[in-house]
Amino acid sequence: MNYVECFRAIARRRTNEIIITSAGNSGQAWWSVTHDSVASFYLDASMSLSTMFASGLALAQPELKIWAFMGDGAFCMNPGMLMVERELNLPNLTHFLVSNRVYGATSNAGLPNLNNNDYGAIARAMGLERVFEFSSIDALERQFSVLTAANASGHTFVVLEVDPFTDDEQKLEQPPFNGTELKYRFGRHVEGMVGCDIFGYRI
Amino acid sequence: MTAKLSPAEDSKVTDKAPNTAARIADELASCGVKLVASLPDNWLMDVIETIKRDDRFIHVPVNREESAIGLCSGAYMGAMGSVALMGASGFMTVIYALTKINYTYEIPLLLLATLRGALGDHHKHHVSNGLYLLPVLNAISMPYQVIDKPSDIVLVSQCYRHTRTYSRPMVVLFTRDLLRGSHS
Repeated sequence: MNYVECFRAIARRRTNEIIITSAGNSGQAWWSVTHDSVASFYLDASMSLSTMFASGLALAQPELKIWAFMGDGAFCMNPGMLMVERELNLPNLTHFLVSNRVYGATSNAGLPNLNNNDYGAIARAMGLERVFEFSSIDALERQFSVLTAANASGHTFVVLEVDPFTDDEQKLEQPPFNGTELKYRFGRHVEGMVGCDIFGYRI
Repeated sequence: MTAKLSPAEDSKVTDKAPNTAARIADELASCGVKLVASLPDNWLMDVIETIKRDDRFIHVPVNREESAIGLCSGAYMGAMGSVALMGASGFMTVIYALTKINYTYEIPLLLLATLRGALGDHHKHHVSNGLYLLPVLNAISMPYQVIDKPSDIVLVSQCYRHTRTYSRPMVVLFTRDLLRGSHS
């Protein structure tokens, strides 16, 4: 399925979820379809750590629902993250693994073992139980309510098999934020949603 | 990232302070730390075991040190206090994560690590840490505080609070004498 159209379908089903994107194309795609500047944290250049970041946030604020995107290039750098995710088994966290079989941010260079990597099997082998795999937007939309079930018993892992960005898609705008600006935009939004005090210190 | 002490080397530790780990835990709790993400180093095992048993903390063993950086940084954005606990060798693997996440977004983070390769460390495989750990910290302009005696454990909470003012990471480096006791 087309990468950007897949993200557009996910964005249509979003209600109040907090989003964490990864290094690579996922930040571009999410910004392109949402232009969300407060409830999405574009964790650029964070190879393999977007879902660990999301796990920390989900652990800290159980009432927030967190969707975290990660490319399979990032996943291949640190698949053991799933051991930590399984140990935490946070029901308010959904890990979307965006599988395009390439390093999308670096000219679509191919991944090692790209034709054989079975991400769903890897997740199941690490003990994850809520594992879903989609290669069409129709199937994704049909089962989306299952992914986001309010009474999910634990962590959800979703593999999205998408096409690599085209040359034109590679030119999509990057989220236009300074890192510190994004921290405060996002943090103030989280503070407002749950009534917590993230930054504390005042001049 | 875990070095294994031989029984002979363990026997050289003669006057290990029994309450060092508990005092470190108390300092962390005093400044609001809830999440402790760790990868072990033999010198840190008392601290890790103490924290695992302590209901004031959520202890999360991680698969690699970079995961601790991501986890604790996300916890900060959810207003949960945290520390990342690791050995010196593990610290040397997290420079990318620290500079990309904690420097770019100015996300505070306290790390607790071991001052491997310094006086008293018999392990030749830690010579590289003795040579390069502090120069690497200086190269990335990352503040650090060496703690080598029990009376300085109070500095742990000061360092934690400093990260919140400074909006960047810093590391506390524990010596062998502090964690394992002085040598015979």
